[in-house]
Amino acid sequence: MTQILSAGTDIEAPPQAFAETWSYFKENRGAVIGLVIIAALVLVGATADLIAPYSPILTNNSAFLKPPFWQAGGSLAHVLGTDAIGRDMLSRLIFGARLSLSIGVAVTALSVLCGTILGLTAGYFRGVTEIVIMRVMDIILTLPSLLLAIVIVAILGPGVVNALLAVSIVLLPSYVRIARAAVITEMAKDYVTAAKVSGVGGIRLMINEVLPNCAAPLIVQATLGISTAILDAAALGFLGLGAQPPTAEWGTMLADAREFVLRAWWVVTLPGIMILITVLAFNLLGDGMRDALDPKLKR
Amino acid sequence: MSKYRLLLAAAIPAMLAAAPVSAKTLVFCSEGSPENFYPGVNTTGTSFDANSQIYSRIVDFERGTTKVVPGLAEKWDISPDGLVYTFHLRHGVKWQSNANFKPTRDFNADDIIFAIERQWKESNPYFKVTSSNHSYFNDMGMMKLLKSVDKVDDYTVKVTLNTPEAPFLSDLAMEYAGIQSKEYADAMLKAGTPEKLDQEPAGTGPFMLVQYQKDAIVRYKAFPEFWGGKAKIDDLVFAITPDASVRWAKLQKGECHVMPYPNPADLDAIRKDANVQVLEQPGLNIGYLAYNTTKKPFDDVRVRKAVNMAINKKAIIDAVYLSTGVAAINPIPPTMWSYNNQIKDDPYDPAAAKKLLAEAGYPNGFETDLWAMPVQRPYNPNAKRIAELMQADLAQVGIKAEIKSFEWGEYRKRAQAGEPQTVQLGWTGDNGDPDNFLHTLLGCAAAQNNGGNLAKWCYKPFDDIVVKAKSVSDQAERTKLYEQAQVIFKEQAPWFTIAHSVQLKPVRKEVVDFKLSPFGRHTFYGVDLK
Repeated sequence: MTQILSAGTDIEAPPQAFAETWSYFKENRGAVIGLVIIAALVLVGATADLIAPYSPILTNNSAFLKPPFWQAGGSLAHVLGTDAIGRDMLSRLIFGARLSLSIGVAVTALSVLCGTILGLTAGYFRGVTEIVIMRVMDIILTLPSLLLAIVIVAILGPGVVNALLAVSIVLLPSYVRIARAAVITEMAKDYVTAAKVSGVGGIRLMINEVLPNCAAPLIVQATLGISTAILDAAALGFLGLGAQPPTAEWGTMLADAREFVLRAWWVVTLPGIMILITVLAFNLLGDGMRDALDPKLKR
Repeated sequence: MSKYRLLLAAAIPAMLAAAPVSAKTLVFCSEGSPENFYPGVNTTGTSFDANSQIYSRIVDFERGTTKVVPGLAEKWDISPDGLVYTFHLRHGVKWQSNANFKPTRDFNADDIIFAIERQWKESNPYFKVTSSNHSYFNDMGMMKLLKSVDKVDDYTVKVTLNTPEAPFLSDLAMEYAGIQSKEYADAMLKAGTPEKLDQEPAGTGPFMLVQYQKDAIVRYKAFPEFWGGKAKIDDLVFAITPDASVRWAKLQKGECHVMPYPNPADLDAIRKDANVQVLEQPGLNIGYLAYNTTKKPFDDVRVRKAVNMAINKKAIIDAVYLSTGVAAINPIPPTMWSYNNQIKDDPYDPAAAKKLLAEAGYPNGFETDLWAMPVQRPYNPNAKRIAELMQADLAQVGIKAEIKSFEWGEYRKRAQAGEPQTVQLGWTGDNGDPDNFLHTLLGCAAAQNNGGNLAKWCYKPFDDIVVKAKSVSDQAERTKLYEQAQVIFKEQAPWFTIAHSVQLKPVRKEVVDFKLSPFGRHTFYGVDLK
C-alpha cells in the first residue's frame, strides 16, 4: 500500500524546496502534532503482528464484554477489555489501525493517480476530451458522496476492496478538477512555451514539465483526502458494506457494538475515539501542508 | 387534536388512580399500533393482540397452552377418514354492539360461513375489503385444503376437506380465524361503508372496543354478555409505547401492569424490582443453522455431524442470547407435545470433529459460506454475532467460513432458492402442532423449489413418518411418530439447532393469573387485579 502512495505523490523536488517547506511546516504546532500522531499510528499498524497481545479474531468464551483494566471487573489480561464475543479490544484496535490507514492511503493513492491522469488529459487536450471528462466528474459531484459509495458497493458486493474502489470513485472529481485547473494555468506559462519551441513532445511535456508544477495543490488535497477516505470507509463498514467479519475495522466494530452503548461503553467508545483521533490528525497535517505549500499563503 | 390528546393524557392517570374503588382497569403497555381490527389480513403479533380480545373463534387455545378447547363450537365430530368436520355451535352467543350496529340476532352458522368465505372465495363481496391478501389463510394452505363449508342448520356447520389434516383444529384456533358478524357485514355493505366492519369492530369476544387512537391508545370495556362470563377486569387499556426502555419506566411507576419485549440490558434492574415479577417461558420457536444437503460437502452426513460438534453452542447462548435463550437439541421446542427427551445433543468436541472430517475426506477442512440474516428475529437476537462465533469455532477445525448477508427479503428468497451452503434462520410456531415444524420445515414437499426447507433435505424415512403423522388423528400415535422423526433428524443432522429463545414478560405483582402464551400473544380474559 505504501508503495502506491510513494508512486502517486513522489515529486522530484530539489532539496532546498523540501527544506523550505519543512521550515514553514514545523512552525505550525497543530500540524506537527498531527504528523507525530500519524507516525505513531503508522508504526503501530506496521508492527501490529508484534505488539498486539492477541489475534484480533481470537474469541474467548470465558471473557465476554470484560471492561478495561481500570474498571471493576477488568483485568490486565485484556487491557482495554473485550467485545461481545470475547475478542481483545486492544488487539482489534491495533489491527484496525493497520486496515484503516491502508484503506486511507490506498484510496487516496488510487484517486490521486486516476484523478491526475484524467485532469492532466483534460487540461492538456481541452476540447471534446475535456468536456467529456469534466461533465462526468460533474455528474459524480451531484450525487451525495456516501450514497454513491453505497450504490457502488451494492453493485460490486460488500468487502474491503470494493469499498475501497467505491470511495476512490467518490473522491475522484476533486483531484481531476484541481489537476485540470493547475494544468491550464501552467500551460499558459512561458517555460511551457519554451519547452514546446525546443521540441519537447506531448507525453514528456505533460509528465516532466507540467506535472511537477501542479503537484503542490494535489499533495494538500491528498493529505486532507486521506481523512475523508478513512471516514467514508468507516461509514461503509458501519453500514455493513465495508470490511467483512471477522476483520477488525473501526467502523464495523462501532456498528456491531451500538446496542451496548449503555451497558459496555468501551466497545463503542474506543473505535469511535480511534476514528476521531486519526481523522483529526490527518486534517491537522493537511492544514499544515497547505500552509507550507500554497504560494499564496507563503510569507 | 392536541388539546384532545392532552386531555386524554391527563385522563388516564386519573382513571388509574380511581381504579381500585370503582372499576378494575388493566393497562398493557403494547409495543405498537394495530393495523386494523380484522385479524384475517393481519400478520403481526401486535395486531393480533389488539383484535383477539374482541373476537372469538370456532375453537380456542386453552390460555397458556397449545391445547385446543371449545370456542364458539361447543363440540365437534370428525369423520373416521378425517375429511369431514361437523361443528356444533354454542347457543345464545351475543354480539357486541356499537354506534353503527345493533345486533338483532344471536351468533349462528351464517357467521361462521361468512368468516371462512370472506378469506376463501373471491366472489365474496368482502374478499377485497381492507386487503385481499389473507396471508395466514393462504399460508396454511386453506385454499386447497377446503372442499366445502355447509350450513346443516342454524347451529351446525359441516366442513369438508380434500385431504386429511390432523392440525386442522389448531389452525382454526389461530387468530386469523376470528369470527365477524354477517349481519353487521351486510348492514355495512348496504350502507356503502364495508371497511367499517374492520375499523369499528363488533365481535363475540370478552372485550369490546371503546376507542382507538393510532400511536396512542386502544381502550376496551369488558363485554358483559360474553358467552364465557364477564371478564374479571372491567376496563382494558393498551397504552401504545414503542420504546422498550419507556415501557419499563412506565411499568416501574405503575402506569402499566404488563409489558412485552423488555430490553435485555434492563433485565437485571427489572428482576431486582420488588413490585414486578418476570414471567418466563421457552418460546414456541427455534433458531437454527441449516446445511444445504444438496451441495458439497454438506451432502455427507459425517461433515454435518462434524460441524455440529465443532460449534460451541454454550458460548453462543452465553454471548448472544444471554438469559433469553436455552440451547436447542431438537427441531421442536421443549414445551411442545411429542418433544423427545431421550435425545442427546451432539457434544462440543473439536478433536472428534476433526477426526470425522478427515474420515469424510476433508482432513484440512474446506471453504464454505455462512449466511446470517441482517435483522433481529424473535428466535435470534443477533445472527451476525452468532455467525462470527461459529466462524471462529469452525476455523479451529480448519473450515474457512465466509459470512454473507443480504437485505431481509432478498435473504429469504435466495435462501429458499437453495443458494447458500449453510444458512441461519428460525421459525416461530403458530398453532402448537409439531407438524408446523417437522413437516413444514423438514419435509420433502418443502425441500422442493423455493420451499421453506432450507436444508433442501428430502430424506425418505423421515418424510414418510411426518406425512403419515399428518393423516393420523390419534394424538398418542402421532406422538410416537414425531418422537421417532426427531431421532432420525438428530442422526442425519440437517441442521445445527441453535436455541429456543425464552419469552420474558415483566408483570406487576398486583396482576393475578396472567399466563404466558406459547405463541407470544397476550390474552387478558381471565386475568384479575388485586
